[in-house]
Amino acid sequence: MKISLAWLREYVDVESPLPEFLDRLTMIGLVVEEWKEINGDIILDVETYANRPDTLGHLGMAREVAAMLRSSLKEQTWPLTELPAKTSAFVDVQILDEDLCPRYCGIVVTGVKTGPSPDWLRAKIEAMGLRPINNVVDVTNYVLFATGQPIHAFDLAKIAGPRLAIRRAKKGEAIRTLEGKTVALSTDMLVIADEKRPVAIAGVIGGEESAVTDATQDVFIESATFDPVSVRKTRKALEIQTDACYRFERGADIAFAPQAAIMAASLLTQFGGKAAKEPVDIYPKPRKLKEIVLRGRRISDLLGVDIDDEFVEMTLGDLGFGLTANQHSIWRVQVPSFRVDIEREADLIEEIARFYGYDKIPVVVPPLEVLEAVPSDREKIQKLSQALFHHGFDEVINQSFADPEKEAVFRSGKAPVEIRNPISTKASLLRTTLLGGLLENTAWNRNRGTEGVHIFEIGNIYFRNEDATAEKLHLGLSTTGPLGTPHWKGRPGEANFFHLKGAVEACLESLRYAPFSFKEDGHPFFEEDYSLAVLYKGEKIGRMGQVHSRLLDLYSLGGPVYAAELDLDLLFGKQPRPFEYVPPPKFPSVVRDLSFLVDRDVPFQEIKQALDKMVVPYLEEFSIIDHYAGGRIPRDKKSLSLRFTFRNPKATLLAKDVDKAEQKIIKNLKSAFKIQLREGGESP
Amino acid sequence: MLSPNIRKFKTTIDVYRTKLEEQSAQIQDLRALEELHHQFLSRKRGTITLLFEQLKEFDPEEKPAAGQLLNALKNEVQERFSALETKLKTPAKPKGEIDISLPGEKLYWGAPHPVRLFQQEIENIFVSMGFSIEGGPEIETDYYNFEALNFPPHHPARDDWDTLYITDKLLLRTHTSPVQIRVMEKKKPPIKIIIPGKVFRRETPDPTHLPMFFQIEGLVVDKGITFAHLKGTLEYFLKRLFGERIKIRFRPSFFPFTEPSAEVDIECLACGAKNPDCRICGGTGWKEILGSGMVDPQVFKNVNIDPETYSGWAFGMGIDRTAMFAFGISDMRYFFENDLRFIRQFTLK
Ligand SMILES: [Zn+2]
Repeated sequence: MKISLAWLREYVDVESPLPEFLDRLTMIGLVVEEWKEINGDIILDVETYANRPDTLGHLGMAREVAAMLRSSLKEQTWPLTELPAKTSAFVDVQILDEDLCPRYCGIVVTGVKTGPSPDWLRAKIEAMGLRPINNVVDVTNYVLFATGQPIHAFDLAKIAGPRLAIRRAKKGEAIRTLEGKTVALSTDMLVIADEKRPVAIAGVIGGEESAVTDATQDVFIESATFDPVSVRKTRKALEIQTDACYRFERGADIAFAPQAAIMAASLLTQFGGKAAKEPVDIYPKPRKLKEIVLRGRRISDLLGVDIDDEFVEMTLGDLGFGLTANQHSIWRVQVPSFRVDIEREADLIEEIARFYGYDKIPVVVPPLEVLEAVPSDREKIQKLSQALFHHGFDEVINQSFADPEKEAVFRSGKAPVEIRNPISTKASLLRTTLLGGLLENTAWNRNRGTEGVHIFEIGNIYFRNEDATAEKLHLGLSTTGPLGTPHWKGRPGEANFFHLKGAVEACLESLRYAPFSFKEDGHPFFEEDYSLAVLYKGEKIGRMGQVHSRLLDLYSLGGPVYAAELDLDLLFGKQPRPFEYVPPPKFPSVVRDLSFLVDRDVPFQEIKQALDKMVVPYLEEFSIIDHYAGGRIPRDKKSLSLRFTFRNPKATLLAKDVDKAEQKIIKNLKSAFKIQLREGGESP
Repeated sequence: MLSPNIRKFKTTIDVYRTKLEEQSAQIQDLRALEELHHQFLSRKRGTITLLFEQLKEFDPEEKPAAGQLLNALKNEVQERFSALETKLKTPAKPKGEIDISLPGEKLYWGAPHPVRLFQQEIENIFVSMGFSIEGGPEIETDYYNFEALNFPPHHPARDDWDTLYITDKLLLRTHTSPVQIRVMEKKKPPIKIIIPGKVFRRETPDPTHLPMFFQIEGLVVDKGITFAHLKGTLEYFLKRLFGERIKIRFRPSFFPFTEPSAEVDIECLACGAKNPDCRICGGTGWKEILGSGMVDPQVFKNVNIDPETYSGWAFGMGIDRTAMFAFGISDMRYFFENDLRFIRQFTLK
């Protein structure tokens, strides 16, 4: 809201220097966002709140300033040059919908010499950032910016009278507005209609046909109160925004309507007009002022400070509230009609706090009270992140939106959630996978000269689940290019399938979600031969693989990119293995390496599972230490070397016991996989 | 002039000296060195020992000169042997091949996203004050996002929260505040929680606005909670985050779900309130950092908590927006472009 300091001074004396004045305004909640000097006046741009329509005019601002400065408002008088006839002799106003129009006032002014406004009025209109039109239109704007009450001027000659109805629009009715746009009206919109047609959309905008022009002589001034919700719905449906509807939808001061009409009429009499003897004022159900009980005890309970009764009474009094002391420190408070925001005791306490000064309320650090902590996945996410940082993955965060064209290529198998009013068509869905963002980040970085891109994201994906929507916390990983920068000790390795798999394994191990397993998957995200499902306790919790070339093309990415996506909500819902401590062994272990040939199409995982199931005495653990094919190895075979660690926890192991165990392993592997032992157990 | 005896003795010594030089030059390992050591310094048959035996045969006046010659040799032998030993005991180092001024080898360590990093800093402060961390859905109902928070349908206050809608009743939450309602519906006071998370607004991307960003919400509900506690807790928090000496200001504001409401400003770190043209604070010297207030009685009624018995306060703060201010980042879009040249800098934070 633009506030002219000169205009404000017509209502209240402001003597303090500007910086101090602005600081004090800030401390009662009126923040001046910027100010500038125009023609010796200072124009403040004050931030206003949706619940304070009373501050949308100079009068209302002056009330706040007067209370702040502990001074009072200057009285203004609006004399009229009167006609013998009453307004009702010219216009017969009928409210047909009292809910949408609780009060309608109007006054006729005849014989106005329409023309350019005098300088003082032009200056005020210009100070508000508007262009002066003519004295009649400028007067309506003046009243709006002076008092916050929107008024409208009709050219009386253009109203097919005398009957003027405030009613809902009829089916099929339309109006050409002051903006020159013809809009179709619906039956829930309130209009001002003469005997032929709507002449204004109530509280929103006037009609062009009944508008004041330079030829206008007789004017009908409207000053009414309209239902805020109705005005809001109408202006939204019609996509019209005016200074009037901005105020009506926040709530106008119903008590002030007649005064605003008289103020306008008084100004028009300065331009030769003569006002009708009496305004019309249709107010079928006059409203009583709200009354609230205010307890002094509640003030200190809520603010944490004791405030004198005297201060409470003075502040509320200055702001226009009526106070009756019921008993000691309890008041019955009458809320002035312009304060539509005040409904409860807490609202009054805020008023007292604002003027008492937030800075004077003490600073109390509450005593530390330990409540039972709500369990969260925070620790798990932190551990997971640490494992990934350790593996050289950088963390990214992407916007949750997805481009429908790209989403279709992904074929995530999930029905996306659509946004009804998206920012752009390229962001009209919510992502069903984290992979899109990761590939986009990869392309962005590659295009800027970063070759090695190893990234992860932890965030929600969203999808439709029949009629409902769902969101799941996912972990996405992707890796491509060199694993580090070139160094004099040697070139860095390249990201590969097993680098990614190692990171996935590390994530699961770090949270003790073990044993986990992998299974060939064939998911559309990945190349056929490089697609694995990740399983924990037999349930699929994610997938990984080499990203399909179809998706790389989508982001103009060359070279292999490896990616994984895990459903963390699903995983975190499962029980991890408990942490167990094992004392360091007292007796030494014996290590035996076993090299053998096996059919090339036998996956290592099968051998591993067979060994896991085998009961071998003293076997502590085993690992694969070499894997080789080609060269001197027959084409249909591969060579594996496994390292077995044996230990007797209770005694030093004897060679013959290890021999026995080793023989058992060999025998079992021979029968299950037809392995052929290699000489010396060495790899080529 | 040297006497003939001395001259002869000197020649002998010189022969051994040459021998020492020749033989020690050939020494390759400690074993050979030990043999040579034995040959020269053995107490029984060592060369030096035998030469000392010869010393006895000199005339008393020739003895000091001869002794001097022999001691010189003995010192040379000992020095050379100890030098050889040191050399043989340190690993072979071909000259000039190892340049220890070369840079070391480093493990590559991934970087946290700056928003997450800052979020954790904030969380840690509140956790240390006994707050728990809560979360809630990002796709919300109109009821939780607006109505229960005292935004009546069709109220202009909703205009301050430009909303992305899924359906008439479903939307992308515009703030983390709906989680307040969800928690208070389930749990009775005392409540002491923070709620970090993603929020959405219908904003066209520019340096200070994005349609998705991060917010952190706090809520305390108990008997006897006052505005003074709100001030105390938030001042403590901001001082931990920005330093003990930071200036803090509470001023009146409006939020539908708090009454009284307060906006909290801190002094502008960019200009120290000294630059009238500062782009961060607009020359006011103050930077708006969070919104807060006492929980509105209507909100309590909506979750069946009696506002006569309980009171509480809440705050909400933009995580990325505050991180921009704390790190001096000029464009919010940097956070979500995910340029690794940007993100990797935060390994140092
Ligand atoms: Zn500044």
